[in-house]
Amino acid sequence: MTVQMEVIDVSKEFAGCDGDLPALRDVSFDLRDREFVSIVGPSGCGKSTLLRLLAGLDKPSSGCVKFHGEIMSKPVHKVSMVFQNFALYPWRTVLENVELGLEAYKLSKEQREKIAMELIEAVGLRGHERRYPKQLSGGMKQRVGIARALAVNPSVILMDEAFSSVDEFTAQMLRGEMAEIYDDTEKTFVLVTHSLPEAIELADRIIVMSARPGKVKKIISVGLKRPRDPEDSNFIRIHQDVFKLLEEELENSIVRHHLSKMDELQRLVDLEKHV
Amino acid sequence: MRIMESIHMKRDRFLFLIPMVGIFVFWEATSRIFLEGGNVPPPSEVVATLFCCLSEPSFLVIVLRTFLNLSTGIILALLIAVPVALATGLREKTDNVVTPLIMLAGSLPDLALIPLFAHFLGPGDAVAILMSSICAFFPIYFTVRGGVKAIPIEYFHVSRIFGKDRVDTFMKMILPAISPYIISGLRISFDFVWEIVLAIEIFAGVSGIGSFINRMMSTEFPKMEYALAGIMVIGCIAVTADRLLFGYLESKIRRWA
Repeated sequence: MTVQMEVIDVSKEFAGCDGDLPALRDVSFDLRDREFVSIVGPSGCGKSTLLRLLAGLDKPSSGCVKFHGEIMSKPVHKVSMVFQNFALYPWRTVLENVELGLEAYKLSKEQREKIAMELIEAVGLRGHERRYPKQLSGGMKQRVGIARALAVNPSVILMDEAFSSVDEFTAQMLRGEMAEIYDDTEKTFVLVTHSLPEAIELADRIIVMSARPGKVKKIISVGLKRPRDPEDSNFIRIHQDVFKLLEEELENSIVRHHLSKMDELQRLVDLEKHV
Repeated sequence: MRIMESIHMKRDRFLFLIPMVGIFVFWEATSRIFLEGGNVPPPSEVVATLFCCLSEPSFLVIVLRTFLNLSTGIILALLIAVPVALATGLREKTDNVVTPLIMLAGSLPDLALIPLFAHFLGPGDAVAILMSSICAFFPIYFTVRGGVKAIPIEYFHVSRIFGKDRVDTFMKMILPAISPYIISGLRISFDFVWEIVLAIEIFAGVSGIGSFINRMMSTEFPKMEYALAGIMVIGCIAVTADRLLFGYLESKIRRWA
């Protein structure tokens, strides 16, 4: 299979106080096999909404999301997720948290434990498996989150700002490990992030979103050899390109914001005249 | 080092005995020196009466009866309050319909209901159980509802992504997430319910430790040492339940929370 997931003409509106608020409009792209895709965009562009749609946690208002050719209406066990705030269950130990997704399968306790322990080992948390999340640092918690996502052997892993709740040094370590996991496994990764260096370091393709309502502004193929060096001239060039795109969007949204403010003002002035 | 620390911690848990002994000494001294021949018996006498009472099966039955009425009331309240709190905590709409009504009902003074219910149900255990479950309902309901609302939305996402159905979501996520709130709700209601159960026993004449105290005091020559012994029994039960039951439950929660 060459295409894992397809996003076809997806729009999403949320019910607001004064009519529907458009979050996404006519978003289309696909996720190929063994591909690392980053989604970047100005804040509030619907990146996280898009990820929730990919996870099947939410349904698009129009258009559809397909996984292996079938329309997703709810989460499927082959699509897994890593959360920004880890979202570990505090009443479960590290081991039990990693086992969470495995409980849906017909596995014996020993088999579950064996798989979970292998992944705990893989993310470097051996010896911590009986500890509770409150006893772990942020970086360790996210390793548990990654192990939990990998445990169900998914074909797609979605990551929502997965490295932004930890300090920069830890984030750098996690990114390096993520790149290794990507190399070692046959999985597709999707990372929503606001950090351009992070997106360029990890991704094969970067989807740049426009400001609200979010549209696909441009899809950039990175095509640099791994491991990638942020000092490399090509890396810097791509960074500048993406930055320019986002800057445009930011300006657009600011101009739009001002225009709508001016419209509003004009309306009030008119209203006053009538009165 | 560890052993010393744990010995210190164990010792600290009994520090409350120092002021308590102080209070008893003070009481003993004042009632013997200043109130000699007066109405307030010294604690030594009360404790002696207490042991005398405790060897009496009929007294134990009375104590047990109060305790069972109160516990049944709390358990009933728990069984009703938790599902309702789940319904309102999880759904804004249900919350908007139901919670104002519950707030209204909760603001009524419980004591005012006693004559009404006593009239309909008569002076039996039923009225004591009913009143204590009403009284226990509100603290449990409001703490658990708060707990349900405090569950992060991501926990629900995790539950769905990792393939949990509704039953599993409830058993493996919601229930553990609200368990600390259930325990504190129980703890608060346990304090409240003593008051109401004793009030019912006294006003509606339901048999129990409250009516025992009342009976001892409303004779021509009040037997205050018996009344005080009765009060001491209540104190002992309350402290024991608090230390043993809630202490145990909280230590379980504290491992992860």
